[in-house]
Amino acid sequence: MTNNENKTKIDVKGLNLFYGTNQALFDITASLYENKITALIGPSGCGKSTFLRCVNRMNDLIPIVKIDGQIIIDNKNIYDKDVDEVSVRKRVGMVFQQPNPFPKSIYDNVAYAPLKHGIVRKGKECDELVESSLIKSGLWNEVKDKLNQPGTSLSGGQQQRLCIARTIAIKPEVILMDEPTSALDPISTEKIEALMLELKQDYTIITVTHNMQQAARVADYTAFFHLGKLIEYDVTETIFVNPHNKKTEDYITGRFG
Amino acid sequence: MLKPYETKLKSIKEEIQRIGFEVVESLEICQKALIEKKIENLKDVTITEKKLLVKSNEIDNIIVTTLALYSPEAKDLRQLVSYLKITNELVRTGANAKDFSKFFKRAYSDDLNTSMILEYTIPLLKSALLSLQTAISIIDETDSKHIEEKYQRVIVEESKTDDLYLMIEKNILKLITKNLDLSREYFDLLSSLRRLEKIADRAVSIANLLQFAQVGGDIVQS
Repeated sequence: MTNNENKTKIDVKGLNLFYGTNQALFDITASLYENKITALIGPSGCGKSTFLRCVNRMNDLIPIVKIDGQIIIDNKNIYDKDVDEVSVRKRVGMVFQQPNPFPKSIYDNVAYAPLKHGIVRKGKECDELVESSLIKSGLWNEVKDKLNQPGTSLSGGQQQRLCIARTIAIKPEVILMDEPTSALDPISTEKIEALMLELKQDYTIITVTHNMQQAARVADYTAFFHLGKLIEYDVTETIFVNPHNKKTEDYITGRFG
Repeated sequence: MLKPYETKLKSIKEEIQRIGFEVVESLEICQKALIEKKIENLKDVTITEKKLLVKSNEIDNIIVTTLALYSPEAKDLRQLVSYLKITNELVRTGANAKDFSKFFKRAYSDDLNTSMILEYTIPLLKSALLSLQTAISIIDETDSKHIEEKYQRVIVEESKTDDLYLMIEKNILKLITKNLDLSREYFDLLSSLRRLEKIADRAVSIANLLQFAQVGGDIVQS
């Protein structure tokens, strides 16, 4: 399905999610577009992170979670029985709120997953992947002379960019970001936002943010969630200038949430 | 600021300049027609308030979106607020340029004292044109010294238009007292010349707004 020049990458159809008997997501239906940034906004507990984690089947790790509906990525429902969740997570990478580098060197942080997945072999091939991933994440010039130092020795913003390099090293198609800048200072935040804009040339990005300005600045599309329901989903300009739903307007203008 | 913001700001500036250049071009057509004494060529001024309004509305909407999406602050905020007001000023200068060409052409005839009229109208038009050109050029300036210099130049030209208008008004009133039959034509002519004076007033306003955008302080519109 296409919307003007947009190509659908992820088609969400009638998605419901339950934590035991408690329903957290209600009949979510939306098309998320390729090479676009989609921001998920809404008050705490509205289901945006829960929704995000559905896209790479992270919620499968919680025993009491029950999901129905479909998330179709490139014409294949990732919740079909014949789909292995590890292969989904390889295609759909994730960056978390707190930078969480492995307790390994900068080089190993990036090389670990590609070597485990057999994407590259040790040596030149792996070196090239580490370099290209660090270049794409905008970190190469800052770390090229200290690749053997621990990832944890970097600043918070650098650690988050290292995590992004680690994510893109396994060549995903989609990158999920769960409040990727909430633990960072304004300068590091701007670097991550600029990086997101660069990365969308090659990846489809879905980001959860509590920062309205961040959604406005970087996202092509914005989805507003409230009490587990997708209230409004549209082009970011429309959401921030002429929202159609009063709840969206009230949230954006700070009247509730 | 992020690249998309810079791109939007650049396109807003370019669109504003484009409207400004259109108005300047119309005034240059008027100037040429007067200097060559080919008053019928004033019909070549094709600018219309309606067309300018469409363009200024487009720019205003881009500015509103940019304000909503990027929440600019300090100089970035001052620039966008100034641009939002400048689009309106430019529409008015365009309307004044069009009205001048239309009313002057209609009122001008060989029955009037054409040599006196042109003697004052040409410098009046030149000053109005120069004030507007200088005001628009401030949009590309970043050096506060250059901005101040250009701002002062706009003020000087505007002051010239005031003086020239007063002089021609005095002369025309004298001519009217001598020949009341031509009073309507002379009043129409004065009305058209008043538009040139207004263009210079708008130029000062634009210069003020651009100075506020670059240097800061309070918004002062004349």
